[in-house]
Amino acid sequence: MDLRELEKDNTGRCRLSSPVPAVCLKEPCVLGVDEAGRGPVLGPMVYAVCYCPLSRLADLEALKVADSKTLTENERERLFAKMEEEGDSVGWALDILSPNLISTSMLGRVKYNLNSLSHDTAAGLIRHALDQGVKVTQVFVDTVGMPETYQARLQQRFPGMEVTVRAKADSLFPVVSAASIFAKVARDQAVKNWQFVESLQDLDSDYGSGYPNDPKTKAWLRKHVDPVFGFPQFVRFSWSTAQAILEKEAEDVTWEDSAEEDPEGPGRITSYFLSQGPQAGRPQAPHRYFQERGLEAASSL
Amino acid sequence: MESADEAADCKQRVHLRPGSLRDAAPATLHLLPCEVLVSRPAPVERFFTPAVRHGADGLQVSFRGRGLRGEEVAVPPGFSGFVMVTEEMGEGLIGKLNFSGDAEDKTEKMQEPLERDFDRFIGATGSFSHFTLWGLETVPGPDAKVHKALGWPSLAAAIHAQVPED
Repeated sequence: MDLRELEKDNTGRCRLSSPVPAVCLKEPCVLGVDEAGRGPVLGPMVYAVCYCPLSRLADLEALKVADSKTLTENERERLFAKMEEEGDSVGWALDILSPNLISTSMLGRVKYNLNSLSHDTAAGLIRHALDQGVKVTQVFVDTVGMPETYQARLQQRFPGMEVTVRAKADSLFPVVSAASIFAKVARDQAVKNWQFVESLQDLDSDYGSGYPNDPKTKAWLRKHVDPVFGFPQFVRFSWSTAQAILEKEAEDVTWEDSAEEDPEGPGRITSYFLSQGPQAGRPQAPHRYFQERGLEAASSL
Repeated sequence: MESADEAADCKQRVHLRPGSLRDAAPATLHLLPCEVLVSRPAPVERFFTPAVRHGADGLQVSFRGRGLRGEEVAVPPGFSGFVMVTEEMGEGLIGKLNFSGDAEDKTEKMQEPLERDFDRFIGATGSFSHFTLWGLETVPGPDAKVHKALGWPSLAAAIHAQVPED
């Protein structure tokens, strides 16, 4: 799979797609949606759609595509190559969400959680296929969160097609299995060839599966923590595993929107009844002009 | 008053090393919208600088998994920026300085003997004419405190200037 586009800039999101098979512009098509790399604390999450004409679905089934999790890496690679050969009837598109995009979304001022990010990415890919002219009539989606609400939302967004959202859709519907293989192959390749934006010394490429419960992944995180910057952008800072390591091994950082109690709070209620009042002993606040500019008189160094 | 005593305890005499201003090499500075609760060297060149993206919609980077947007800010005209560092004063150094004066900065006349905890030497370790100001998810823009603060020197000059008497 050609991921050069991602390797050029892996700090945001990267959409890749196959040429649209001519037959998909004319005949009604079925489209499957699945994702790979949702759980890991390392690397991107990859969303994939795969589509083909309803009339050719049997060909896809004949390839014996299955849920990518039940396949070995070799089997996935082989099926991926087979589907590429079917390029005159099978099309695909990917959206690769970098770990940096995931971190900054989930840790944003307005929290954008992984479920919403996933739902919007899936909808974006369906929209992309439609914009390319693919005649999508049926959509099958592996669920994220509650399938009923997810299905209702997608159905509302795409009223012209029949939407089915199901748990384990990747083992129930061949077109979703195919999408899961595209997603997994892309995710594995992206992780394997990850271009670190940082200039790191002694970079250890043995990070295990990337899942938080993998001892190798945890050891890698601990080894690559920097007291000030935390981790390289390859790490999803928003994962509790990453946060826990930062709390222990990196310096504390406070942001203007950090929830914190005001240390200059009103103080004890009884202080208002004492002769000195709550302001006693506190230096006089500077004029508003200086407060608004964050300026203070320095009397010592 | 207790607070007055405290203020007296903090009083210091600051000596600038003029030579360090001439020798200060240009420095690259980033002002982040957060506080790292410790002062220590950081591998900015390895982690931060290469991660900065110069896109069509300005500067972008992330710190600790949070998105930042940046802009270049110039030091006000007529001013120069310096990174100043306070020298640690050991007892031995005080003694030596009192005997020989500061050989490097002869222009500074030592009127009184130096005292520990009272005299401080500061010197420049870097100079700058602009720096990068970062905001959390948005470009700080003209309303940012830093921009407004940089207007103070010209206002200060105006209000402290001699008013001609008629």
